[in-house]
Amino acid sequence: MTDGATAGLFLDAAGMKALGAAIAIATTGYASAIAEREIGTAAIGAMAENEGLFGKGLILTVIPETIVIFGLVVALLINSA
Amino acid sequence: MSRPKEMTRAVIVGHKSILKETIDALHDTNLFHVEDFVEDESGFKISKPFKNAEEVSKKLVKIRSIANYLGIDSKKPVVQKTDSVLRELDSKLDELDRTISTKTESISQLENELKDLESQKREILPYLSINLDFEYYRGYENLRVFAGTVKGSLEASQISSITQAYELYYDPQSKAVVLFVAKSDADKVYELLQGLGFKELRVPERGGVPSELLRFIEQKEAEVTRRIESLKGEIESLKARYADFILASDEVLSIENQKAELPLRIATSANAFIIDGWTPTEDYDRIVSVVNSATKGKAYVTSLEIHHEEEDHAPVEYNNSKVVAPMQQVMDLYSRPKYTEIDPSSAIFITFPLIYGMILGDIGYALILGVLALAIRTLVKSDAVKPLMDILIYCQIWSIIFGVIYGEFLGFSLASLHTVHGVTPGLIPGWETITLFESIGGEEFTFPIHRSHMVMTMIGLSVFVGLLHLNLGFLLGFSNIARHHGMKHAVLEKGSWMIIELGAILAAIGYFGGSALMYIGAGVLVLGIVMLTMGEGIKGPIELPSLMGNALSYARIIAVGLSSIYIAGTVNDIAFSMIWPDHSQIGFAAVAAIIVFILGHGLNTVLSIIAPGLHALRLQYVEFFGKFYEGGGKKFNPFGYIRKYTEE
Repeated sequence: MTDGATAGLFLDAAGMKALGAAIAIATTGYASAIAEREIGTAAIGAMAENEGLFGKGLILTVIPETIVIFGLVVALLINSA
Repeated sequence: MSRPKEMTRAVIVGHKSILKETIDALHDTNLFHVEDFVEDESGFKISKPFKNAEEVSKKLVKIRSIANYLGIDSKKPVVQKTDSVLRELDSKLDELDRTISTKTESISQLENELKDLESQKREILPYLSINLDFEYYRGYENLRVFAGTVKGSLEASQISSITQAYELYYDPQSKAVVLFVAKSDADKVYELLQGLGFKELRVPERGGVPSELLRFIEQKEAEVTRRIESLKGEIESLKARYADFILASDEVLSIENQKAELPLRIATSANAFIIDGWTPTEDYDRIVSVVNSATKGKAYVTSLEIHHEEEDHAPVEYNNSKVVAPMQQVMDLYSRPKYTEIDPSSAIFITFPLIYGMILGDIGYALILGVLALAIRTLVKSDAVKPLMDILIYCQIWSIIFGVIYGEFLGFSLASLHTVHGVTPGLIPGWETITLFESIGGEEFTFPIHRSHMVMTMIGLSVFVGLLHLNLGFLLGFSNIARHHGMKHAVLEKGSWMIIELGAILAAIGYFGGSALMYIGAGVLVLGIVMLTMGEGIKGPIELPSLMGNALSYARIIAVGLSSIYIAGTVNDIAFSMIWPDHSQIGFAAVAAIIVFILGHGLNTVLSIIAPGLHALRLQYVEFFGKFYEGGGKKFNPFGYIRKYTEE
C-alpha cells in the first residue's frame, strides 16, 4: 500500500480512496438499516392485522434502500476515479 | 397488454317461488359475482336464509370439528356422487359422532385413572426403602407414629437419650423416617425431629407392603396406557375409513350452505326477488339461457348500462394467457388492478424474470434452481405452489441467457480472461474473451461480460435498462390516462416526463460534446418541466429528483449480482486451496473441501432466490408501478363452488 514517499502519518492516495469508499458504503448502509428497521416493524405490525398489506409493506420498507445504492455508486465512482 | 375481463352488470328478477331454482342454476354456472344488497329507502329488504340453513350449518360445524379432531387434510380426491353422499350423510355422521365421542370419553376416563395411579405411586415412593406394611402405621392407643422426611441426619442415639421405648426405621439415603414412640414421650421427640427439619408425610390409606403395592400399580399403569393406545389406534383407523366421506360431505354441505344463505345478500319484496351482480360479458348469454331454462322463462334477466363511476366497483377478473397467468400472483401480492386500468401482468412477465436473470446471471445456479422448481412443480400438487414455481422457472430461463452472456458457472468464469496481470484461464478451454470496444471509465467491453471487471460499464447499462423500464411505465400510464381523461392530460402528466428525460439526455450529450445541442436540450428540459407543472401542479416539479433516484436505483442490478459472484468466488477459493494445498497430493482436507463447496454453494443458491427475487420485485413494485399503477380492484368472486370431491 505505502510507497515510501507518502507513507507516514497519513495513508497514501490509494488507501485514502479505499477508506473513502468504505465510509460511503458503511454510513449509507447504516442509514438504510436504521430507516428500514422502523418501517419494517410497522409494516409487520400492519400485516398482522391484514395480510393483504404485504405488497404495500414491502414497498414502504425497501424505499430507504435507495440510500445505500447511492452510497454504492459513490464508492464505485471514488474507486474508479 | 391486456385489460381485465370485460364485465356486464346483470340483474335477475323473479317471483319468490322460483328463487330456489334460480339460485341453484346460478350456483352451478359459477360465473355470477353477486353484489351484496344494502337495505335503503327503496322498500326492498334482504330475505331470510332458506329453511334448511340452520340444519346445514349445524352439520357443517359438526363435520368440520370432527375433521379437525381427526386431523384430516385435503388429499387426492375420490369423486363421489352428491346424492349418494347426501343420502348417507345423516346416518354416517351420527354414527361417526357417536363412535368418536364414546372413544374420546373412555380415553379421558382412562387418562384420569392414569393420573390417579401416578399420584398413588408418588405417595408410596418415600416408604419404599422402609418397606413396612401400611397396616402397622395406625390403630395404636399408646403409640405415636411419626412418618416423614428429615433434612439433617438422624442418629438412633439422639432418640435413645430421650426415651428407650421406641422403634426407628430410617433410610439415610432418602432421609425417610418412620418412628414409633410412646405417646408420653411424643412431644419431646417431636421437638427433636423438628430441629432436624422434619416434614410429615401422609400415610397411604390402604394396607400392604410398599414394594408390592408399587409393582401392582405399575402393572396397572401399563395396562391403562395400552388401552389408551389401542383406543387412539381405533380413532386413527376411523380417520382412514371416513376421510373420503368427511371431505365429500364437507363439500356438499358447504355448497348447500352457500345456496341457503344467498337470500341474505339479495333484495326482496313481499313476493319478488332481485339478484344484482356482475358476469364476464362473454358469459352473459350463458347466464341468461341457464336461468331461463331452470325457471322455464319465468325469471327476467337483463343487463344494465355501466355508469362511469360504477366502473370502479366492477369486480376484476384477469384476462391473461396461460403462460402469463402465474404473474397474476405477483400482481395480487401488490394489489389487483382496477377494472379501468391496464393489467400489467404481461409487462412484468417479461421485465421481472429479465431483471432477475440480469442480477443472477449464472448458468450453474440457474440449472440447480430450475431443476428444483420443476421437481417441486411436478411433486407438489398444490395450486398455490404451482404458479410460484412457474415464475421461478421463467426467472431461471433468463438467468441461463445472462449466464451465457456473462460466461459464469457457480462463480467460475467460463471464458479465459486477459488482463494486465496476465491470463486467467476459464472453465471451458478455448473460449477466449473477446474485447469488443472501449467503454466507460477506461474499461473494455468484452464478450463474455466479466461483471467484476467492468463495474462502471455495468452500472451504466443497469441504469439504461432502468430508464427503458421506467419509460415503459410512463407509456402504460399514458395509455391509462388517455383512455379516461383524454390525450391532453396524458401528454401533460406522463408525456412531460419523457420530454424531460429527452431534454436531459440532449443537454448531457451537448455538454460533453461541447456543441450547441446543450442549449437545445436545456430548452426541451424547461418545456418538459412547464408541461409537468401544468399537468400535475406544483407537486410535479417537486417530484423531479425522484426520477434520478428511480433510475439510479437500478444500479442494484449489478450491485446484488456482484455480491453473489463474490460469495461464490470465495467459496471456490476456499474449497480449491484446501484440495490442493501444495498442488501435489489430495489429502484429508479434500473431504472438508467438498463439504465447504456444497454448503457454500447451497447457501448461495438459497440467497440466489431471495436476493435477486426481492430486488427484481422491488424494481417492479416501487419504480415501475410507481409510474402508472393504482391497483385496488375488487376480486371477481363468482357465486359457486369448484368441486373436488363430489359431482352431480
